[in-house]
Formats: sequence, C-alpha cells, structure tokens
Amino acid sequence: MTTADFVIRTEGLRKVFGKVRALDGLDLAIRQGEVHGFLGPNGSGKSTTIRVLLGLMKATSGRAELFGRDPWANAALLHHRLAYVAGDVALWPALTGGQCLDVLGATHSGVNKRRRADLIQRFDLDPTKRVRDYSKGNRQKVALIAALAADAELLVLDEPTSGLDPLMEQAFQECVRGRRQDGATVLLSSHIMGEVEALADRVSIIRRGRTVTSGTLAELRSRTRSTVHAVTAREPDGLAGAEGVADHHTERLDGHVDSRFTIDTGHLDAVIGRLHAAGIHTLTVTPPSLDALFLRNYEKSPTPDEADGDVVAAEAAS
Amino acid sequence: MSTGAHGAPDHAGGLATMLGITARIQRRNALLWVLVLGASMVGTAAGVASLYDTPAKIYSYAAAVTTGNALLAINGKVEGIDSLGGVIQDEFGFMASFLLPLLGIALVARATRREEEAGRLELLLGGRIARHEPTLAALLVATATITVTAVLFAVGLAVSGVAVAGSILYASSLGALAFVFAGLAALLAQLTRHARDVYLWCVMALAASYVLRGVGDTTRTWVGWLSPLGWAEKAAPFGAQRWWTLAIPVAVGLAFGGAAVALAARRDLGSALAGGGVGPQHASPALRSPFGFAAWLHRPAILGWLAGGVLLGGMMGALSKQLLGAMAGNPALAQAMGIAGGQPLDGFVAATQLYLAVIAAGYVVQAFGTLRAEEADGRLETRLSGTLTRIRWLATHTLVVLGGLIIVVLVSSLVLGLATAVSVGNLAELGPTLASGLAYLPAELVFAGLALALYGWRPRLFFIAWAGYAVATFIAFLGPGLKFRQWVLDVAPTTHVGNPPLGTAQPAALIVMAVIALVLAAVGCAAFRGRGVPQG
Repeated sequence: MTTADFVIRTEGLRKVFGKVRALDGLDLAIRQGEVHGFLGPNGSGKSTTIRVLLGLMKATSGRAELFGRDPWANAALLHHRLAYVAGDVALWPALTGGQCLDVLGATHSGVNKRRRADLIQRFDLDPTKRVRDYSKGNRQKVALIAALAADAELLVLDEPTSGLDPLMEQAFQECVRGRRQDGATVLLSSHIMGEVEALADRVSIIRRGRTVTSGTLAELRSRTRSTVHAVTAREPDGLAGAEGVADHHTERLDGHVDSRFTIDTGHLDAVIGRLHAAGIHTLTVTPPSLDALFLRNYEKSPTPDEADGDVVAAEAAS
Repeated sequence: MSTGAHGAPDHAGGLATMLGITARIQRRNALLWVLVLGASMVGTAAGVASLYDTPAKIYSYAAAVTTGNALLAINGKVEGIDSLGGVIQDEFGFMASFLLPLLGIALVARATRREEEAGRLELLLGGRIARHEPTLAALLVATATITVTAVLFAVGLAVSGVAVAGSILYASSLGALAFVFAGLAALLAQLTRHARDVYLWCVMALAASYVLRGVGDTTRTWVGWLSPLGWAEKAAPFGAQRWWTLAIPVAVGLAFGGAAVALAARRDLGSALAGGGVGPQHASPALRSPFGFAAWLHRPAILGWLAGGVLLGGMMGALSKQLLGAMAGNPALAQAMGIAGGQPLDGFVAATQLYLAVIAAGYVVQAFGTLRAEEADGRLETRLSGTLTRIRWLATHTLVVLGGLIIVVLVSSLVLGLATAVSVGNLAELGPTLASGLAYLPAELVFAGLALALYGWRPRLFFIAWAGYAVATFIAFLGPGLKFRQWVLDVAPTTHVGNPPLGTAQPAALIVMAVIALVLAAVGCAAFRGRGVPQG
C-alpha cells in the first residue's frame, strides 16, 4: 500500500506540554474508506492526536500526515476535505441551533442542504432554539449534524456521542454507515465499546500517548483468548495440559463432564478435536468482546513498559 | 448586615459547606475588589489631604465646586464640602457611585446565576446543600467582602486626618450602597435565566439611580430619595451626619436578599421568570462570512462602550455652558477640574476627551479579551477546524475591533461636539473636538497592541492587559490632580498625546505610539501563528 492510500498517517508522533508528554511515539494509519475506531482511556492523548492531525497543534517531533501532507503547514487547505466534531462541543450561546449549523457550514467546503434537513429531522433537533437553552445532548447534535451534512471526504469525530440517548446513538450509527457507503473515511475516537464494535472496520488502542495495538477487530480478537464452555459425554483426553489452554476447570454434572477454559485462538482447532473425541453435548466459544480487549490492554499493565511487553506477548502468541 | 438567621438549624452543616465553597470560588475576585477599592479610596484621600492642607485651600475648593449645577449632577451634592472629608467625598463621588454598586453586583451574580447556568449548582444541590443555601452563602460572602472594604475605607480616611465619626459614617454609607445592589443582584439572579441578564438589569438600575440622584440634587427636590445613591449622599457624613439614613439601604438590601433566598427555596433549578425565546432557523449571509461573524461577535462590546462614551460626551457637552459660566465667575473651579489657561472651552473638551480615551481603551482591551474567551471556551478550535486560516481569522477580528474603535471614538466625539455646540450656541468647537478625539487613537492603539500581543503569545497572561489598563486609567484620571511625578505620569500612553485641544497634539509622540502598537501587533500575530490552539 502506498502513502497515498492512507488518509491519516503518523509515525513516532510526540507532543510535549512543559513536563507532560501527551504523545510519546504514537503510530496511526487510517486507510481510505474505513471507519477507524480510536480507543483509549481519558487523558491518553486522543484529543491531542486529533489536534495535531488538524494542524491546531504542532507536534514536538515525529511525522503526521493528513491526505499525504503536513497538517501544520497546510491546515486550512486540508480542512477543505474534512469535517470535525470536537470532544467538548462549544457553540455560541446567543445563536440558535440553525444559525450555528450555518456558521459551522460556512467553514466547510460544501454543505449538502438536503442531508442537513434530513439530519435535523432524524436527530429531532429544534433549530430555532438558542444554544444557551439547549441541553448538552442537543448541543452535541448541532455539532454532529454540521459535520455529517458537510461534503467531506474525512470525518474526524472526537467522542461524538457523549450526551446522546440510545435512540440518537442509533441514528448516529446509521448516519456514519451512510457516509461510509458514500466513500467517506471516519476517524471515530470513543470509549463507548458497543459503538466502535458496531461501526469500526479497524481499531487502534492507545495508552499514555502510545499505540498499544492496532488492527481489524478480528485480528485483535485472534491475538487474545476466547472463552470455551463444553459439556461432553466423557472426560476430554489431555485437555488440562494441552497447548494454549489456561484457566481450566472441570466438574461432573448429571453424568456429563462440564469443562470451562480459555484458549489461544491459534490452538482452537486442536482443542475442539479433543472435545469432539470426548463426545460433545453442548459447546459455546465466546470471542473476547472489545470491552475485554480494552480492559486487558490496561488492567494488566500499570506501566508503559509492561504494556509493551504485553503486546509483544500477544503478538508472539498469535 | 447579616442574613444568617435564615439558615435552618438542621441544615447548618450544609450552609457552612456552601459558605466554604463560595468563599473559595470568590477568594481571588473578592480580594482584587477589596484591594482596588481600598487603594483608590486611600490614594484619593492621601492625595486630597496633601493637596488641600490648609483650611483656606479647602474653602476655595468648596466655593469653586458649589457654583452651578453641573458638578452637582456629576459628583453629587456633598454636604459639608468645606471640610477635608467633604473634598474627598466630592472627588471620590463619581467613581464611588459606580464601583461600589458594581462590587455588590459582581460578587453575587458570579456566585449565583452564573454557577447555576454553568450547571455547577446542580452538582452541589445533588449533595446535602439545600436549595436556598447557595444564594444565602453568596449574600453572606458578598456582605463580608463589603464589610471589609468599608472598614478599610474608614481606617484609610481616619489615617488621612478625616474626623473619625464622619469617616465611619461615610464608609458605612458606601458599604450600605454596595449591599443594596448585592441584594438586587441576588433577586434578579432568581428572576432571569442568564448571568448576563443579571448584570444588564442591575447596571440599568444603577444608571436609573444615577439619573434620579442627579435630578434630585440639581432640582433640590425629594426625587433623590428614590435612589440608593441618594440615600448614601443624604447620610451627609461630613455635614449633618444623619446616621438613621443607613437603615434605608440596609432594610431594602435585606428585603431584596430575603426575597431572593425565599424564591431560591421555592423555585425549580434552572427556572426563571423570563423564558427563552426562539430565533431564526438560518444564519444570514453576513453571519456566515468571517467578517460579518466577527462584527456580530464584537457588537455587544462596541455598543456597550459606545453607549458609555455617548452618555458621557452628551452629558458633559450639555453641561458645558453652565461649567463655562461657573468658571468665568470662579477661576478656582477651573483649577479644581484640572483646567488651566485662558481657553476654558478647549480645556473642558480636553478633560472630557481624556475620559473618552479611557473608555475607548477599555473597549479595545475587552474586545481582544473576547478572542481569549472564544479560545478558552473551546469555540476557536471548532472555528479553525474549517477552511478559515488562523491568520485570516485573527486579521478579520483585529480589523473589526479597530473599526469598532473608530466608531466609538468618532461617535462619542461627535456627540460631545454637537452637545457642546448646542449648549454654547456655536459650532466653533466641533472641529477641534473631533480632531482631538482622533489624536488619542495612537494611545488607544497601544492598548490594542498590548492586548493582541498577550493574546497571541500567552493568552493565559491576558490579565496583564487589564492590569495595565487599570494602572494607566488611575494615572490618567488622578495623576495630574494629585501631582504625581513626571515619570509616573509618563507610564500612561494618554499622557503623551499632549492634552488636545487645550495643548497641541504631539505628532512625534503619536507616531512613536503608533509604531509601538504596530510592533506589538506583529509580535502577537507571529506568536499566534506558531502556537497550539486551544490554550486555556
């Protein structure tokens, strides 16, 4: 794949504020036409990354490219091709929602008027109310509608659904899918796992300004362990000692053998063979949820060094 | 002046907590107010005491300012003006009639409706704080701040050699004045939806009080008794000493405050008497253009400061004939007003133009402060995430701010010139009035340059622009009268203009100031291009 295929690319991106290292060697690659989930806990550097990519902040070192160009040097030019929803949506309290949409739209290269009207209806927004009288969710809707109505090749959404109710969350997901079908690329920063799981083609997880792991959801899942629950007629042969099996528990219930364990995805086939030989009664294999992936990347690693070790281990296992 | 009796015993812990929170939020703000007010009063008192150090000088001052109605309307009618305290009361009168009400308004509005609007009050009321306690705590903290200010006033006056009883009564009457407006602000905070409206209605009430007091003083009728400013004046601390008049503002302030606390206990959070209206569904083409948007953003500041300039210019112009007549009959008045030389009308216009220049400079600092607020509130980030370049954004706003400055200066000067022409009966002074207004532009641009440089370089340090403005204003207003040393006077850019039209504008100084302003602006633009956005 050539550089041109990447809408966003950063390598070893670092940003230092005084003594605080907000970004500490962040790598990110987003291909054209994909919805890319950008995950990380609060304060891990998601918003700073986005601000560097938008040319609002200058990286201390490392490389950042937006549409193959330096965002700091070409900010306004590159902004012709994108629309952005900031993490903390701040609008002008004295303007109405509709006026804000037009003011924001005036700084986009084009606004699809039909889509604007359609989005207002879909998100159930009253555009004649003043922003100061809106709830947080309604302010969020204004920013979202402005971005989704823009004729943009790239949508940069920084935690766009905080404050939205489940119904609106649903509408949001439909709209993002629609824009993706139109060919738009989406950078979706979030910590709502369900949303990312539902929308993202690929995911990057960052921690303390560094990329911890990146890939498609299937790839990420294959790097971690699935949970297996099997009820068999006989005791499976050599299961406890089998390669890739851990957390093994077994007990006899009503003449059946009930086994629970976790397994590296790479060894699943061999283990299922052993279960099959023991006469499968029921079998469930649960792939790790994004939640579990996310927690796994943080809980077990209190320091960045350990986090690196963790990734290496996961990659070696896959 | 305590309203502590309202705190129900079972919620005493809640009130104590709320008091702690309010005091913590207000700490810096309150301290700043106390220091600025205390310093102005002590500075004025010390200056007057050293300048009018003999009974003869005080007598000539008194004889001068009691001639005619003009000064009565501006500074108020001071009973017992033939005493040191009376002279101080007269000199400080104009400033006091705005600063003390603003003290009460600012302290209360900040801790009540603004907190509610920001959603922070909801957080507290979710805890063990009762609904009425934030308002009560805001009033108590404001009352404590006002009390400290009044004590500082009394001590400062007494130390400057003013009779102790008069000092205490004068300080108390000013404190009671601030208390009335604190109560009014607390009440309006319950009735209006936004902190901005609290300020707006309070300032309108203050303007009405000022007019009523002026009408009462000049017509010598009971009208002055309708005004809180009138109540403070009727206490006559250096004349008849009517201690009982203190009961009026205290009772009214308590009634306002009590009503506010009662309303806060009964109404829903976030509710108000005046509901929010609806507005247009679409932005006008003007609002969509960067230039039109900048004009919209700065319009409130332009109109607000313009209103101040027009009011001052119109009032001074309308009074010019009376003042000229008074000065013709009494040369000491000219000296008391800082007007010397044989051209009293030019001197009068020059003195007014200095006030107008201070208004214009205040406008530019506030206008650039708006840009800082745009960034700190997070709106700039969204604004710059589109096709608008940084430099175009900053240049557009700078142009609009400068356009506003020219409007403020020209219209205020025009109103001053026309009102003077109507008052004295000819147009001869109109040209010099406009020219002198324009001559102050480079000095005002220095403030604009300083504000722009601070904003571009370190927006967090923007308060330095306000501090510089406060220092320059204090020097410009009181420096010449209180005979500051030349190097102190030179700190204020307005000093270098040359006091037109009485003096001649100094072209070299004006050019130097314009160059300084330009360099500062260039530094600000360059720094803004190179820094990250947003910075809090």
